Amino acid sequence: MLVIGIESSAHTFGVGIVDDGKILANEKSSYNVGKGGMIPAKVAEFHVENAGKVISTALEKAGVKLKEIEGVGYTRGPGLGPCLQVGELAAKTLSKMLNIPIAQVNHGVAHIEITKHIAGLEDPLALYVSGGNSQILKLAKKPYRHYAVFGETLDIGVGNMLDSFARSLKLDPAWGSSVEKAAIGGKYIELPYTVKGMDFAFTGLLTRATELIGKVKTEDLCYSIQENAYAMVCEATERALLLTKSEELCVCGGVAQSNKLKEMLSLVAKEHGIKFGYAPNEFNADNGAMIAYVAERLLENGYASKLEECGIEQRYRIERAVVP
Amino acid sequence: MKLISEGAEAKIYLCNIWGSNIIAKVRLEKAYREKTLDEKIRSARTKNEARILYRMEHAGVAAPRLVGVGKFSIYMTFIKGALLRDIKKKKEILSEVGKMLAKMHNEDVSHGDFTPANIMVSNGMPYVIDFGLAEITKSTEDKAIDLLLMKRSLATAHYKELETSYLRYAKEGKKIKERLKEIEKRGRYKTRTLQTG
Repeated sequence: MLVIGIESSAHTFGVGIVDDGKILANEKSSYNVGKGGMIPAKVAEFHVENAGKVISTALEKAGVKLKEIEGVGYTRGPGLGPCLQVGELAAKTLSKMLNIPIAQVNHGVAHIEITKHIAGLEDPLALYVSGGNSQILKLAKKPYRHYAVFGETLDIGVGNMLDSFARSLKLDPAWGSSVEKAAIGGKYIELPYTVKGMDFAFTGLLTRATELIGKVKTEDLCYSIQENAYAMVCEATERALLLTKSEELCVCGGVAQSNKLKEMLSLVAKEHGIKFGYAPNEFNADNGAMIAYVAERLLENGYASKLEECGIEQRYRIERAVVP
Repeated sequence: MKLISEGAEAKIYLCNIWGSNIIAKVRLEKAYREKTLDEKIRSARTKNEARILYRMEHAGVAAPRLVGVGKFSIYMTFIKGALLRDIKKKKEILSEVGKMLAKMHNEDVSHGDFTPANIMVSNGMPYVIDFGLAEITKSTEDKAIDLLLMKRSLATAHYKELETSYLRYAKEGKKIKERLKEIEKRGRYKTRTLQTG
């Protein structure tokens, strides 16, 4: 089934096209979050301006004509309201105009599913880390197929934490990549480390590290905040691995672009002799292909939505989404 | 020394010292963690756990008794039994578990991982084990989370049994239950389907 997927939950407007699980196009245009972060209305405006262009580029790349598209999917949530609305509107328009079925996709489910698909994993424990989310999940079959949350952040997402810190240092905020660069050559200094079973919290770490700006060497601070943040996530993940007796582990979401985090997780996996997988960065960042991929399976398995049922949900919890 | 269990944090060995069965809990080096941070965490948690086991003994909470402490290892008495998680007839035991939790909280200790996988039942009596995540704290939130974890891992009727007994013995039971209600109202706990036990 030839399906187009639209992602617009945050600063990226992404369009993907898949056919029978094969990714034919994955195009995007991203709002520059710069120093001020995201003002939802401004980002939404940016999406509106770029939607048409990204959709046509994706069709061109895939080598298909608009009228050949057989189904459409979009991100229902979680995400920023005004941004989600742009994707919803674009998807509804396509559905109505082409008279094709429409599917609503949970953003987190899409990140995990595309990673499983690309990395060739069957039933992994998934660490989903991004700006707004940080969760440890595994597929549960009852009462319906969904991702059960085993652990998660009790306050902010790890990406958000690293970005806020980067901004305080006047570095570029981007899933911690600038902090990772600035950490080179740093030495460890003591910072808060908060793990509660399989949950973790980042604001204490952020507050303390921000207080220390200017008082200790920047590279030491960057090195230590990163070591603590990722080690916390790894510890909680390891606990969930043992609890769920998983034989596979995967990492996904924006922060999965960090080589440092992947390196640490591969050590966790190695210790327990299990397989560790992840997708190329193109799919860790927000993208339309993952939405198209899940939408195709939803549509093929009878989970199409009626147009009037379609909407957005800023806090769409992952457990509520049916995994096809 | 026989390895009997391996957790995320520590290896548990059963040793026989002068005819007594002793448990050695050794906190393992984590390759993913920065060395200084790793040592700090492991030694601090070892010390903390030993201090709490000592407190439990004095508070009359059924738990392993502390025998000795090393930099990254704790030695304690062995409790032979089955985990509450694996026991079918839970009901009678649960009011005792509630009482133990109340006593623990009255001493300002939160367990941190209070699930049926951390209750050992020996001769029909429950023993609280694994104080690896326990904290000495007055925090109502931490205490309420102990209740919440158990609530999420038990059938409703079973949990009621535990809670009734807990409320009878806990000094601040009412306040903690109020907090539990408040926590459950937070979005993430409404739909979370976690099974820890």
